[in-house]
Amino acid sequence: MLLRFNRAALFWSVLVTGALVAAIVVGSRRLQYFDAALVPYTFASIFTLFGLTYHYATWLQRPPTRRYWQRTWEQIRQGNVPLRLGLVLRRLVTHILAQSFIWHRSRLRWWMHFTLFWGCVLAALVTFPLVFGWIHFATVPGHPYVYQIHLFGFPAGTFAPHSLLGWVVIHMLDFAAVLVLVGVGLSFWRRTRDPDALAVQNFYNDLLPLLILFAVSVTGLMLTFSSLWLRGYYYSFLAQIHAITVIGGLLYLPFGKFFHIVQRPAQLGVALYKKVGAEGESARCACCQAAFTSQMHLDDLKQVLAELDFHYEMPPGSAIDHYQNVCPRCRRVTMALTQARISGREFL
Amino acid sequence: MADLPAPENQIIERFGPHAAYVPVGGWGAASDPDRRVPSHCCFCGQQCGMILLVKDNVIVGLEPWEEFPFNHGMLCPKGVNRYLQSGHPDRLRAPLVRAPNGFQETTWDDALDRVARAVRQIQAEHGRDAFAMLSGASLITEKAYLAGKFARLALKTRNIDYNGRLCMVSAAAASKKAFGIDRSANPWSDILLAECILIAGSNTAECSPITTDYVWRARDSGAHVIVVDPRLTPIARTADVYLPVRPGRDAALLNGMLHVLIQEDLLDHTFIRERTTGFEQVKEAVSHYPPAVAAEIAGVHAEDLVRAARLWGEAKTSFALHARGIEHHIQGVENCAAVINLVLATGRIGRPGCGYGTITGQGNGQGGREHGQKCDQLPGMRDIEDPAAREYIARVWGVHPDEIPHQGLTAVEIFEAIDRSEIRGLLSISFNPLVSLPDAGFIRNCLRKLDFYCAIDFFLSETARHADVVLAGSTQEEEEGIVTSVEGRVIHIRQAVEPPGQARQDTRILCDLAERLGAGDKFRFRSTREILDELRVASRGGLADYYGITYEKIDRQMGVFWPCPELDHPGTPRLFEDGRFYTGDGRAHFIPVTWHPPAEDTDEEYPIVLTSGRVVAHYLSGNQTRRIGPLLDQTPNPYVEIHPQLAAQLGVADGEPVRITSRRGSIVLPASVVTTIRPDTVFIPYHWGGRQSVNILTIRALDPVSKIPEYKICAVKLEKAAAGAVPAAEIASLSPRHHV
Amino acid sequence: MSEPLEFFIDPMRCIGCQACVSACRECGTHRGTSVIHLEVIDRMRTIQTTPMVCMHCVDPTCAEVCPADAIKQTPEGVVLSSLKPRCIGCENCVIACPFGVPKYDALPDQMMKCDQCYDRTSIGLRPWCATVCPSRALYFGPRSQVEAQRRGKPLNRFRFGNEVVETKVNIIVPEGVDEFVFDVAAHISEGMPHSVADLALAASAEDH
Repeated sequence: MLLRFNRAALFWSVLVTGALVAAIVVGSRRLQYFDAALVPYTFASIFTLFGLTYHYATWLQRPPTRRYWQRTWEQIRQGNVPLRLGLVLRRLVTHILAQSFIWHRSRLRWWMHFTLFWGCVLAALVTFPLVFGWIHFATVPGHPYVYQIHLFGFPAGTFAPHSLLGWVVIHMLDFAAVLVLVGVGLSFWRRTRDPDALAVQNFYNDLLPLLILFAVSVTGLMLTFSSLWLRGYYYSFLAQIHAITVIGGLLYLPFGKFFHIVQRPAQLGVALYKKVGAEGESARCACCQAAFTSQMHLDDLKQVLAELDFHYEMPPGSAIDHYQNVCPRCRRVTMALTQARISGREFL
Repeated sequence: MADLPAPENQIIERFGPHAAYVPVGGWGAASDPDRRVPSHCCFCGQQCGMILLVKDNVIVGLEPWEEFPFNHGMLCPKGVNRYLQSGHPDRLRAPLVRAPNGFQETTWDDALDRVARAVRQIQAEHGRDAFAMLSGASLITEKAYLAGKFARLALKTRNIDYNGRLCMVSAAAASKKAFGIDRSANPWSDILLAECILIAGSNTAECSPITTDYVWRARDSGAHVIVVDPRLTPIARTADVYLPVRPGRDAALLNGMLHVLIQEDLLDHTFIRERTTGFEQVKEAVSHYPPAVAAEIAGVHAEDLVRAARLWGEAKTSFALHARGIEHHIQGVENCAAVINLVLATGRIGRPGCGYGTITGQGNGQGGREHGQKCDQLPGMRDIEDPAAREYIARVWGVHPDEIPHQGLTAVEIFEAIDRSEIRGLLSISFNPLVSLPDAGFIRNCLRKLDFYCAIDFFLSETARHADVVLAGSTQEEEEGIVTSVEGRVIHIRQAVEPPGQARQDTRILCDLAERLGAGDKFRFRSTREILDELRVASRGGLADYYGITYEKIDRQMGVFWPCPELDHPGTPRLFEDGRFYTGDGRAHFIPVTWHPPAEDTDEEYPIVLTSGRVVAHYLSGNQTRRIGPLLDQTPNPYVEIHPQLAAQLGVADGEPVRITSRRGSIVLPASVVTTIRPDTVFIPYHWGGRQSVNILTIRALDPVSKIPEYKICAVKLEKAAAGAVPAAEIASLSPRHHV
Repeated sequence: MSEPLEFFIDPMRCIGCQACVSACRECGTHRGTSVIHLEVIDRMRTIQTTPMVCMHCVDPTCAEVCPADAIKQTPEGVVLSSLKPRCIGCENCVIACPFGVPKYDALPDQMMKCDQCYDRTSIGLRPWCATVCPSRALYFGPRSQVEAQRRGKPLNRFRFGNEVVETKVNIIVPEGVDEFVFDVAAHISEGMPHSVADLALAASAEDH
């Protein structure tokens, strides 16, 4: 059984998970601030990180991914480092944080994704530090209406729960839930109408994650509702339901659609790769001599193709040594010209 | 009077052309339509079936109509994009009158009163015929019929003609002479059964793309294809014989082919003897065109000509197709007759797989020329000078035969009469003569001479910019009606949407105007169905007998081929099956043809032949298609096709500006250097106005019979022009490219 | 069960009208964006044009070279366009596809390609381009019909150097051809060909 595991991925998973456990222990001051009630969340998080790392590591082993991964770390250290880092950081803001490329795909999708993204990010920023005991609140002795924030056990500011700030902090997860629900709503609206979505979506990859987010958000909001207006009616039951939805979501994370969250930053590496490629030599088409990509890209791709067991090399004695030296347009044209040639330019 | 009311660029900014790229309601609108309306494309005579998707009174998309038997869902880019004209920002939504600083919207009462007043005043001062009407062959047949009746009974003028005069009249005249009837003799399904297909002067792939499928499928079954064209068009690229005829030499070439048939006795003697007249005269006429002589005149290889003749002669079945390429000549009727002579000599008509047809170009090119909007015609394809016809139609219309005016002037002649100040007022509907008539400079001057000009249209065309009153009319999809396709198939146009804003249906506009002109009692139609019912009776007993055709029957049969004289008659897909023709003697008539040179042949000063034609992305004067973004992007501007040899002489490279000058004017266009045109010929597409218009150069010479202008030949000289001399496109600066 | 419908491409029939280019824009899975290719081969020398749709390889190179697992195959063998959540716009597929099919669009930073109108074909409708194409250069129908009506035969086996690629889409070739060899070298040495008729025109022009 163990043999079927990918050893390298296993290694990384154990390492990263171990690091998280250590961080929890250290960050919570040897579990001093660790909230035992949140243990199921902690274990789910650890397991999720294990899965994510495992999946990520196996993904990085695929030849095209590995190539980009290596190139990114190589290129970020070479040339004009501040300029290159600057590009990556700029792309981080425009593409990851602002998601401008989704704006250009569809306005609706952008609103949908933007609200989902920031809702989830907000929730994660609050939840994980709490769960791991990295952050906790305590009343200040003698000041029952002032809360002290502790970060990794260190005091990190105070706030009054009945102030506006306090209200915002306490309800941060509710805001997150509302944002997520807006995104889920937009997404469902689209997915029940858009012919594209209707044609290609499936339950496991496209609808299940929405249902999970919906369930997490709604049960979370119900907790607030219960404590604020129902005097805690059914609170513990709701808390259990909420926990189940969250843990379900966490466990789905490494395997389903949510995996794209950790894949997406690869876009930054690709941006850098294209920039470096554009600064270097261009690959020119063996037929029309037009530049069609960077020489680096073409060379890398040929190597990747070889690793993937594709054989686009031309046989010895050909006018060109590799089919991939032909630009995409000439490939399309060649199909028509070849058909004309083998049919004697006769109409078939 | 009829000069522009404001600087042209101001008019363009307000009325377009703007390029529309996205349907009203965005790309998503079509996934949830209110209605799906099976109808037909408005952009050529093939009238391909398509299903229009309607949401909130706008056509927002389409769906192929695969059950429709002509095109099985096939469409060209015009068809795919036609829905973008619905809800277009340029659409005229209210009547306009000219004001000191441009056009001003007004009420219908005001606009119609102005028109009626102008008609009365001009006719009182200069006589009834001083007010002329020009109509269109893209109109549904009900509108075409109504236009003819309106001119005769409401305007009481003899001068009504239509823009089919620029299109189908040469073929029509030849067919009437030879067969006694003017219609493609066969359904297109006969093309599939033909062993040999002759395509003369038709850029089929671009101008009638769906016909390509019929030709290709015939080839799949082994048919040979002969293409006669000065340009190597897509349909010619793989032809068995391609004859790159020098423009204006078609009659010699076709006579040469018939010479070979006679020489090698590839004739159907029985058919000639029993079913035709006049063969001996034709035999004599073509005896002067042995292959060497004919090929010399036509500028082709004699052996290619002989090969073509043999392919035609040895086939058992055949189909001859021609279009404007041989028809837009002062010898247009004779060119068509020369093709018909080939058909008759081999007896290949009236049987499965044996056919002949002209490829009509306009949306209702066939139906629009049958029911009385031609200057010489009354409904049912009746001759306006035939006393019996006058009497019958007078009875249908409830007037005395003398109240029906006699034959009037043709389209170009109407402008010549305007130039002579004999015609002072003009009403046009769906006709853009400033772009579509030859010698555009002359036409522009004529517009200035008019005392009054009223245009009915749905976009402000180049010509309508000169109008005193513009009446916001309707598009094809805004009124129910019939049109007749290239095959002679009468089909049903369903109303998909209502005219937007204050715009009105064309039929209502004409009826309202008739009311004001005192002829209201003859125009009390509440629907186009009532117009059709009158048309059916008016056409009854005529050549184009529509009596048996109703909307419901068309829907049931997916079209009805006329003649269809009774309600229980199935229609007539293939003509002449009984061996009888519609001539007086029941026989087909050979027509002897002698080639003669074009009106303006090349000389030392103007050494190059200019020819013009269409591109696939645009329709007629471009008033509709130049407003549709994807079509505009496909072919944004005109260009001049030049052979590399000529380009080398001129020192011009591909894309560089060339000045083309004829005796009438001069334009500058970018060169498209291609080997697919004769080195002695240049080609310019004709869909643009202003300084981009090829018709600034073309000659106002007419065929003596059909009065079609000789668009296909005039003499020009070329020279390299300065960089930047190419005129900018006439398009509004703020085109709503991406309002997603 | 009725015969399944297949896609056939026959560049020889293409008339360059671009109906496919416009129709592609109507496809529900990417309405507003056309992803088909229509190549004007060399307008100066020939009027020949050719369309290119995705050939839907059995073992798609594009999907294999995708670093983001963004290109998926459906159970029917349709190679879908890039999954939007995954595509990182690297253009590996654009450069690697032996047929030159995928298109990269910089603003959305995404590859888009033909998915054989999956919204239509998955429910028994025909793809847009192959429905409207007036020349049947693009055709979607039963194989038996194509074999009965056309003189050539459908083939779906292509060779690029040492690589053999099988596809879901067929090209029409003469009888007797069992492998479609992309002969790039021939085109490099000969240049773009004239069509036969093209030469006839030039010859007749010389007479004058």
